[in-house]
Amino acid sequence: MRRVGIIAVLFVLVAGACSSSATTAPGGSVTAGVTLNVLVEAGGYGAEVTLAKAFEIATGNHINFVQVPYQGVYDKLSAEMSSKAGAYDVATIDEVWLPTFASFLVPLDSLFTADVKSNLFAHEVEVAQQGGHYVGMPMWDNAEIIFYRSDLFSDQAEQANFKAKYGYDLAAPTTWQQYSDIAQFFTRKDASGAATLYGSAVTGAMDSDFENLSLQAGSPGTILDANGKSIINNAQHQQALQYLTDLVCKYKVSPPNVAASDWGATQNLFNQGKAAMMMFWGHAYRFIPSDAPVVGKVGVAPMIAGSAGIGATPGPWFNVIPTSSKHQDVAQAWIKFAYDHNDFALQAPLGLVATKSAYNSVVGTAGFENIKPLLDTLSGPATKDRPLVADWQKIVDNVLVPTVQKAVACGSSPTDLLNAADQQLKSMGH
Amino acid sequence: MHVRLNDRAFALLLLAPAALFMLVLVAYPLLDLVRNSFFNGMLSAPDAGHFVGLDNYASAIASPQFSGALARTILYTLIVVPCELVLGIAAALLFNAIGQRSAIFRTVFAFPLMIAPLVAGLLWKFLLSDNFGVINWILHWVGILRDPTSISWLSDPTLVMFSVAIPDIWLTTSFVALVVYAGLQGIPGDILEAATIDGAAYFQRLRYVTLPLLRPVLAVVLVIRGVDAAKTFDVIWLQTQGGPAFASEVLSLQIYRTTIRFGDLGQGAAIATMFLVAMTVVSIVAVARVWRPGEGARRA
Amino acid sequence: MPSTAYPARRRIQVARIAVVVLLLLVLVAYVFPYAYLLGTSFKQSGATLGVPPSILPPVWSLDNYTGLGNHPEIPQTFVNSLAIAVLSTLLALVLGVPAAYAISWYGTGAGRVFFVIALVVRMVPSVSIAIPLFLMLGRLGLIDSWIGVALAHTTINLPLSIWLLAGFFESVPHELEEAARVDGCSRIGALVRIIVPVMVGGIAVTAVFAFLASWNEYLFALLLTTNKAQTVPVLIAGFNTQYGVDWGLMTALSVLYSLPVVLLSIGLQRKVVAGMTMGAVKG
Repeated sequence: MRRVGIIAVLFVLVAGACSSSATTAPGGSVTAGVTLNVLVEAGGYGAEVTLAKAFEIATGNHINFVQVPYQGVYDKLSAEMSSKAGAYDVATIDEVWLPTFASFLVPLDSLFTADVKSNLFAHEVEVAQQGGHYVGMPMWDNAEIIFYRSDLFSDQAEQANFKAKYGYDLAAPTTWQQYSDIAQFFTRKDASGAATLYGSAVTGAMDSDFENLSLQAGSPGTILDANGKSIINNAQHQQALQYLTDLVCKYKVSPPNVAASDWGATQNLFNQGKAAMMMFWGHAYRFIPSDAPVVGKVGVAPMIAGSAGIGATPGPWFNVIPTSSKHQDVAQAWIKFAYDHNDFALQAPLGLVATKSAYNSVVGTAGFENIKPLLDTLSGPATKDRPLVADWQKIVDNVLVPTVQKAVACGSSPTDLLNAADQQLKSMGH
Repeated sequence: MHVRLNDRAFALLLLAPAALFMLVLVAYPLLDLVRNSFFNGMLSAPDAGHFVGLDNYASAIASPQFSGALARTILYTLIVVPCELVLGIAAALLFNAIGQRSAIFRTVFAFPLMIAPLVAGLLWKFLLSDNFGVINWILHWVGILRDPTSISWLSDPTLVMFSVAIPDIWLTTSFVALVVYAGLQGIPGDILEAATIDGAAYFQRLRYVTLPLLRPVLAVVLVIRGVDAAKTFDVIWLQTQGGPAFASEVLSLQIYRTTIRFGDLGQGAAIATMFLVAMTVVSIVAVARVWRPGEGARRA
Repeated sequence: MPSTAYPARRRIQVARIAVVVLLLLVLVAYVFPYAYLLGTSFKQSGATLGVPPSILPPVWSLDNYTGLGNHPEIPQTFVNSLAIAVLSTLLALVLGVPAAYAISWYGTGAGRVFFVIALVVRMVPSVSIAIPLFLMLGRLGLIDSWIGVALAHTTINLPLSIWLLAGFFESVPHELEEAARVDGCSRIGALVRIIVPVMVGGIAVTAVFAFLASWNEYLFALLLTTNKAQTVPVLIAGFNTQYGVDWGLMTALSVLYSLPVVLLSIGLQRKVVAGMTMGAVKG
């Protein structure tokens, strides 16, 4: 029996050895016949797959997607950085990873002409520059906007009641006060005290709501200032956290225990018809399942404005080329192609793009009602990126998320929490 | 050709291939791990770190997160291992009692093992969710819960350690039950027959004949599961990512977070090395006290 | 005598009912989550996260399964997973059976030390040895190959196999081997011809666990493959995107992925039972 086993092992070993042959040809050529390995996660794959087919027809070079989970992109690019094996020619990465990999990425300065820069959003151009060079080309951009139940908002009885109670017309909220009023108005309970509708979903397990609000209140940056120093307990951040805490603890417009609500939970609460509003990423408009109770009843509006105007922390993703790639010129051609035909990505499930021209091409088209609010939010006066420091993930995990979670657990004062957070940031060197 | 080896040489020869394999594929990465703990390399540039001596260890021990994670790891192990041992042995005895007809139950009992821990973690996150989790709704329909959202399995800091243990117990009780069942089959039938003829009732047979004969298998299961429980990662990470506010953060999560999410190779290696040293001490004690392999063996 | 037989029969009846009730509870507790997984894979996306939730789909739909058709890489990943699992199981058994035998039957000091080392190996969190392993296998050119991942999986399977097998070996009476030696068998002959057949149940159980560990493993598979040797768990994890879990595709793929192992375990159950009968008779 052992003998059979050994032969089987040898057989499979041989077969296994034969299956792992090199995919990339030595050297590279700008012309045809090259296969590029592109590292993406699910959203990137959807956005780029039709682009890839068009690229193949146009240039004769093939795109091979390596699709991994979100964290996997970071893991594999890190591994690539240490092994320099040339396994990937392009990667589509989250902006927060740009500082970590910046020294490992091929500069793309030649792609950033004046036309290109004016066609991109200001924050994208700012973030793409790391260490004096442009190291990434935006592939798509996203921001949180307001989603609301258009059926409830256009109901005559609701409008009359709202006007009677608050003194102004019921419409998509544009200010903090309006958002709060509307959320309270739509929080409904039945006879036994069980909730039938919540005014707003609140994402208590993520830091994005807090950051957006801090910018709207007029903070010069969110969490850290331009020099990387902590401003987390300045007046605007305190207002922001207080507002969020009041929504959950004082006015109780959200389900209890939002400390565990991540983006999936928020999105689902709204899609199941249990929340009248939510602040959520713009792509979700096209992700509403066709058999969800809210189909046809969803309205979208730009993010609300604080005293500093509309503000949000966008989430752009960038195409980058590792310096270990063996096909850098073809890779650059692919990135340029992706930029030139950015509008292809609109047809992907994610439905997001990076350029103003691409977005403008679908404003007013049915099914793309979320684009105008996204555009308005991305161009908002207080819209600014998250601080891109090398230990941002550590700050999020150790300081921001626990602070928000404790705040929405309704036992602590926001001021105390923010002062403690400030101490923590200082001990981390900020 | 017959080379006459004595027993001891024969045993070493049998051990050699496995030992060689582990030397090459495990010893080297482990040495690398320990080496990394004395440097401050980052994941993105592992060789660019400088020697920092015991700094990584000092800062890890000083951080409140470390002591919290350590306490939680011990708590988690103490919750999970007794539960799955008791339930698993009981299930194995149950299956043994009904003999051949238990095949269908054993197959069903093996279902959790068929599902990747990855999937199990997400599935239970789904089941235990406050808003749309089926568990709460079933408790509500049955009348135990007045309001389906009243128990927040995964977001209540006092409850969360027990909640994340549920899928792990679900997964591993199967393992224990099937291994113990296989062990039960190895017990010669005539010993039990002799005991019955001598007048022993079921529980007496269990206590004086079955369990002692099962001791090696039980010892193996206890030690394996003890180590695994301390090391649990997938299931907890997928359900809560260590939250809310670190209430479910055990050491393995902290190592992952430090090494991969923060990219701090040195600190992550320091925590992992400390974890390893602690587990080695525990396991040496366990193997020496609970089970001595080859106890009834021929003297070499 | 009839009067003393009656209470005994009652006790047996009560015991039987208790056993049946317990078995039913076990059945429900263990089938339910899997049934829920199965049911969810046939739901449309809105019903998947419906409030209040449903166990059975309100509308049965094959959307999720047809949705998997948009991922042409799936068949290859199944083949990869199978090859890697078979390879690492064989390796674990080939290396583990002799080692476990040596440890439990010959009780040498070296054996005991080795045993503790195997335990220590198992304690290392995968994430900590994954990076050095990645660099080492990279230098050997084994990244994105079946062998590379199988070798990594064997580092997990070998310790487990050695312990399980040692445990089973311990339970086999030494008289068997002595009888064989008296009959003129060599040590290897005794091992192969007498002891291993008695151990078939234990070996089968060990093989199943080793196979499953490799089949379901995620972290090494993620780090040590790029695209040619990618396994299904990496794909499944990919459905847990940044913005939320694609439950539909995830449950559908998980169900499909669990089917081969369900069949394998059913098939091996019979072998396990056969092996055990042999062992019981030999006593």
